[in-house]
Amino acid sequence: MPRPEQHMVTLTIDGREVSAPEGTMLVDGAKRGDVEIPVFCYEPKLGQPVGACRMCLVEVEGIPKLQTGCSTPIKDGMVVHTQTQRVREAQQSVVEFLLINHPLDCPVCDKGGECPLQDITFGWGAGRSRFIEPKRHFRKPLELSPTIAIDRERCILCYRCVRFSQEISEDYQLVLHERADHSYVGTFDGHPYVAPFSGNIIELCPVGALTSSTYRFRARPWDIEQAGSVCLLCPAQCNVSFTVRDELVQRVLARDNEEVDDGWLCDKGRFAYQAIHVDERITEPLVRDGDALRPASWERALELATDALNKARGGKAAALAGGQTTNEEAFALQRLMREGLACPDIDSRAGGRLELELERALAAPSLQTTVADLEFAHAVLVLDCEPVDDAPIIDLRIRKGVRRHGTKLAIASSRPSALDAGAHAVLRFAPGAAEAAVRAITAALSGEGDLNGLAAAAGADPESVRATAKLLTDAGSELAIVWGERLASGARAGQAGRALLNLAARLGLSDVEHAGLLELPASSNGRGLREAGFLPTAGPGYSEPGASGRDAPAIAAALADGELSTLYLLHCDPLRTHPDRGLWERALAKAGAVIAHESSLSATVAEHATVVFPAESYAEKEGTVVHPDGRLQRLRSAIARPGEVSSELQVLAELASRLGDIELPTGAPATAELVGAVPFYAGITLEEIGGRGVRWWQRDAAAADALAEAPLGPFELDNPPAAAQLADGELRLGTYRSLWASSEVELSPALAFLGAKQHVELNPDDADRLGLVDGEAVRAVVNGSSVAARVALRAAVPAGTAFLAEGTAADSANALLNGAPRSVRLERAPR
Amino acid sequence: MKLLFKGIDEPGLNTLEVYQRQGGYQALRKALAMQRGEVLHELDLSGLRGRGGAGFQMSKKASFLPKGAMDKYLVCNADESEPGTFKDRELMQKNPHGLIEGMIIAAYVAGVNRSFIFIRGEYELQADILDAAVEEARAAGYLGDAILGSDHDLTMVVHRGAGAYICGEETALLDSLEGKRGNPRLKPPFPANQGLYQGPTLVNNVETLATVPHIVSMGGAEYAKLGTEASTGTKIVSVSGCVQRPGNYEIELGVPAREIICGLAGGPPEGRAIKAWFPGGSSSPVLTADDLDLAYDFETMAKAGSMLGSGSVIVVDDSISIVDVALKTAKFYRHESCGKCTPCREGTNWTVKMLERIDAGDATPMDLELMASVQEQIIGNCLCVLGDSMAMPIGSMVKKFRGEFEAHIEAARAVHV
Amino acid sequence: MSAAGEPGGDGQAAGRIRRFQHGSRVPGWDRASDLSKDPAEVPDLATTAVPDELRAQIEAAMARYPDRHSAVIPALTAAQRHHGWCSPEAIDQVAAVMRLTPAYCVSIATFYDMLYTEPVGKHDVYVCTNISCSMLGADALLERLLELTAGDSDFNVRAFECLGACDIGPMASVDGVYVGPLELDDAQLLTEDVKAGRAVLEEKQLARRPVADEEARAS
Ligand SMILES: Cc1cc2nc3c(=O)[nH]c(=O)nc-3n(C[C@H](O)[C@H](O)[C@H](O)COP(=O)(O)O)c2cc1C
Ligand code: SF4
Ligand code: FES
Repeated sequence: MPRPEQHMVTLTIDGREVSAPEGTMLVDGAKRGDVEIPVFCYEPKLGQPVGACRMCLVEVEGIPKLQTGCSTPIKDGMVVHTQTQRVREAQQSVVEFLLINHPLDCPVCDKGGECPLQDITFGWGAGRSRFIEPKRHFRKPLELSPTIAIDRERCILCYRCVRFSQEISEDYQLVLHERADHSYVGTFDGHPYVAPFSGNIIELCPVGALTSSTYRFRARPWDIEQAGSVCLLCPAQCNVSFTVRDELVQRVLARDNEEVDDGWLCDKGRFAYQAIHVDERITEPLVRDGDALRPASWERALELATDALNKARGGKAAALAGGQTTNEEAFALQRLMREGLACPDIDSRAGGRLELELERALAAPSLQTTVADLEFAHAVLVLDCEPVDDAPIIDLRIRKGVRRHGTKLAIASSRPSALDAGAHAVLRFAPGAAEAAVRAITAALSGEGDLNGLAAAAGADPESVRATAKLLTDAGSELAIVWGERLASGARAGQAGRALLNLAARLGLSDVEHAGLLELPASSNGRGLREAGFLPTAGPGYSEPGASGRDAPAIAAALADGELSTLYLLHCDPLRTHPDRGLWERALAKAGAVIAHESSLSATVAEHATVVFPAESYAEKEGTVVHPDGRLQRLRSAIARPGEVSSELQVLAELASRLGDIELPTGAPATAELVGAVPFYAGITLEEIGGRGVRWWQRDAAAADALAEAPLGPFELDNPPAAAQLADGELRLGTYRSLWASSEVELSPALAFLGAKQHVELNPDDADRLGLVDGEAVRAVVNGSSVAARVALRAAVPAGTAFLAEGTAADSANALLNGAPRSVRLERAPR
Repeated sequence: MKLLFKGIDEPGLNTLEVYQRQGGYQALRKALAMQRGEVLHELDLSGLRGRGGAGFQMSKKASFLPKGAMDKYLVCNADESEPGTFKDRELMQKNPHGLIEGMIIAAYVAGVNRSFIFIRGEYELQADILDAAVEEARAAGYLGDAILGSDHDLTMVVHRGAGAYICGEETALLDSLEGKRGNPRLKPPFPANQGLYQGPTLVNNVETLATVPHIVSMGGAEYAKLGTEASTGTKIVSVSGCVQRPGNYEIELGVPAREIICGLAGGPPEGRAIKAWFPGGSSSPVLTADDLDLAYDFETMAKAGSMLGSGSVIVVDDSISIVDVALKTAKFYRHESCGKCTPCREGTNWTVKMLERIDAGDATPMDLELMASVQEQIIGNCLCVLGDSMAMPIGSMVKKFRGEFEAHIEAARAVHV
Repeated sequence: MSAAGEPGGDGQAAGRIRRFQHGSRVPGWDRASDLSKDPAEVPDLATTAVPDELRAQIEAAMARYPDRHSAVIPALTAAQRHHGWCSPEAIDQVAAVMRLTPAYCVSIATFYDMLYTEPVGKHDVYVCTNISCSMLGADALLERLLELTAGDSDFNVRAFECLGACDIGPMASVDGVYVGPLELDDAQLLTEDVKAGRAVLEEKQLARRPVADEEARAS
């Protein structure tokens, strides 16, 4: 549904004339006249008002009963009073009613000092208490989940938390039990409330009923400072505010940015800050001494690194940058590699190269859509990705569009999606067959091409291909395709990317405002790293690189073959994030030197690093990153760097100076240099990016042409390969990356319980055939590599396919991604 | 004059065969032969007001439904949970087809193709009878597509509740029917615009709908001659409590209350006198023996500071303590509050606690002030009228029987100390 | 529920305001989460066994409404009939077939008086103790029935709000069959009939009662 048009009306509140868009609720309209109407249950982010708490009663002339300001839309000429005797009495009544069962344990309550109930009682209550009977009694506090404590005595039953669970995250685990004065908030049969977004209820609670187990009793509001920055734990790059006390991050709150996160955070973003301050954090340089890494002085570490790099000049060194790398860092490192050492082998993609033309085309401004657009799109196609795992906050935005604005949703994926339940069309294709699936949809749209053949190659049901195409045709013109980086990776990455461009062309996405593609990159700053030129095929701003280099898989092979000797890793842990772990192990073992910026002992550094520079956490960094929809965002350091941690830019500058080829700036000049080198950033300053971010093609239409020369298709394509035949007893292997599969999650005490474990998800019929039962231990074997897993039966998993998780700390399915065809055999583990 | 109760005890009236023999489904034939607007006009002429409690004119509500091809719904409110009310039960049990016929006509008028009967879960016998009757009606072509060859289609589902008074409130009923907790919704939007499954919905009480065929048969103008000008027609009154012949009586609106309570229902048992009476279920402010000569109709009851409500008279005689009545009343609303809005959830709870103190001798007469004030704080501030439904009768009891409350407090304190 | 011996509920000051009395402890007052359990998401039919008959009943109910959610009360009622109460297992089964979370089902089940999320006796005996019935002696009747059935798992005797049968007060609903007006001595007969599996107090069943309005009877 397209955005509603706004039409201003004027009303009078307490004698003041106020104008506001028609349909605004009185409570919000009043704010424009500096009139505050107190509320508890009202929270527009949660959807339609419910009018439960009755705190916002006001008098509207011409209506005999008091009206709830939270649910009364303003009308032209309305006359409203919020200060009359009647209104006051009603407000005092509601406060009194709320307090009769409230424990008044404010002195020991975590919410004290930032509690709406305290504030409203002070501002609107009668300041006396007439209730002498026993209060409602609950045992308290209780654990609602490992991260949330619940105090039901303090609960004022405002419905915010349950509405969040039911209507925003739609996990529907948190509900009201019983009714009347017996109502209380809880879960089913004592199950913990564990869901990707559960922590938001802490921020929503207007009293101290839901508190954060990690923040309880850590600080009072007057002890803390808030520091705004950006979460770098996934590509969604939510805007956050760090609560800091004594240079320690104590809490992470949402910093509502409608263009990015809509004011929500996932639990990883909310709680994994704990990993910043754990003992496992590397806070001093380490150098290899035999099998062990030992602390060393900066001087020694830099010296070793300089030596290794010096030896690898002229093409023997390679560099990989991971998602927490800023644009400035990536830019600096690619300069060092290319200009300084004449080593063109750099990559920020894990799954292989795309030609420059294709990189440009897929990033072309005319083809991009935004997160905010998802909410009002006529239809959204989720393609070969799982938003809740890949960029969780996007999942909420898609749900919002469907629930509130009638967006039609189609899912095209291999693995069943969390969004399936709300989707209007679901297309399942075989793992790795996204290219064929996209071609099939395009064929169904155009009526040209061999739809059935393409569907067969995709392992998809032609009917669901047609249904998906029909949905896209019928919904309207504002279409958004949310796609995962995995689609354009691997051996046929170029074909798949072009197939996607053909689909976009067929749908006319580049011609329609608000329509377009939104890629979910595999790493947090994936888009920024590419724009900064950290690709084997592209220089800064997608320029033609001086020499093209090897991509990540080729780098691994070259290391393993001894063609490369030194590997530079910037926030990158290939053993965890890159396919074919076996190859990477060989590559790292063979490398002469591995230099890594890392903050904890990943398997990569623990076993293979020669030099480890203690890396900054995202709460310590300054610089810029790019959101998947092209928004440049600014990181601001919230806390001082612990121990001997130094900034990545400082280390790079130091190395550059020791190597003596180029000079690298640090701090704001580094941003200026990046901006100077990327044509389409021209003129952007840190001030302009500010707290909300900017999209370059929106600030400067001319810059939008920068990538326009890239051909957007349609392209002639060859036929995708036919679906592989499975041998008896074999299943297709599908992999996915769970939201929880990250070292930050494993290191955060509060989230450690979520750390992804390996399951093999199976259709019950396949399990029957293989004689396996739910929960049974098996080994999943592919081409000689194997991982241990437990069977998890899922009715929704397509028969013939098994899904395993990538990126887990142990038994990651990356080990199984070792060439084609990807078919897996399940062997019962010896008991 | 008997309309709804005409031949009500005829054996087998609950079957299609006997119902038809008594002239059943003739009104439907007549209605289907008329234009929708013409039938609506007859309803309009009849002046029929809703029998579920609010007394809103039925034809008006039906005319609020938007025209046009969209999914619209008719929901019959058979939740009948207001204490003292049991009229719909007798109608559904003995004459289910009367209700079904009324619903088919009402759906025709409102342009509705899907209907539900939301019956309280406790009424198992009545629900079984309705299920059977709906099946019979379907088999006979009164329900389904192209009813009796007309352009009118209608499905009907009997939906059983599971025990919650609040589901009688029409928007809570819709939420419950949608499979949610029975919480009332904010109004507006009103059900006529956005009701069941977001579609325009007409909600009417069983008795209201069961009256429709009679109006169609006799003509709206003729029906309007019954009763008074503002309260037309006949009404089934449930009389219970301290009377000799409790039960349902069909009366013409406007008869003196005394005629119902002392005449039809036989008055209080020998030797007792009427202390108080609820004219419209437990939600109506109580009246006293002084009010017995008032006309029993919507406007007179309202003028007397109470209401006709669902038309259920509960009689309290002088052997009963008003404190007990107040406590029972308050406990009922506390138990039945949905808990969504603050004044009702907390106010009913507080009121019960105060009454328990009063009863236990743990109060002073000053607490009556507090109690009255708490009732004032509830009235008008709630999301639906359940809160008011406690506050009004409790307020009226404290006001009208203050002396008895005070005496009770003193006596209980004496025992207690 | 006795307050004596409970923390803060000292029996000494009995009669005065007691912190945990007047029902100040509400059901579920001490219910915590068991952190060793997994979160309760929509149960997968692949791992949730549902008796065929129950599944068929739930699916039939779902088919009767434009939106499957509407079938939740009928589904829970059916599951309760099957399991005796809305046990966690029963709730899981309903949730699996209806593709809802068990929490959704439990929030519904606990809202309504006729659905039980704690085990109860086999036969429901609801005694109306609302205004009209209580004025006619319902409280004594309830007490008698409670005495007669104390500790007997065949019975679920409980006070109920107005059952819509004040004309036969004091009255009870026995497994849905309304009987009244009841004398105290009927309590004994009632429990015997239930035990014997007979029709309960046949003479006093509402189903047999003529309308009170004599003119109507004559019409
Ligand atoms: C708390 C509450 C309970 C109600 N219970 C019933 C009921 O049991 N039956 C009923 O018909 N109306 C009941 N109503 C009235 C309905 O909200 C609604 O006005 C009525 O069903 C409309 O039908 P009518 O216009 O035919 O009377 C109740 C209202 C409230 C506020
Ligand atoms: S008045 Fe009572 S029943 Fe009505 S919405 Fe409020 S809490 Fe619920
Ligand atoms: S804020 Fe309006 S009712 Fe709660």
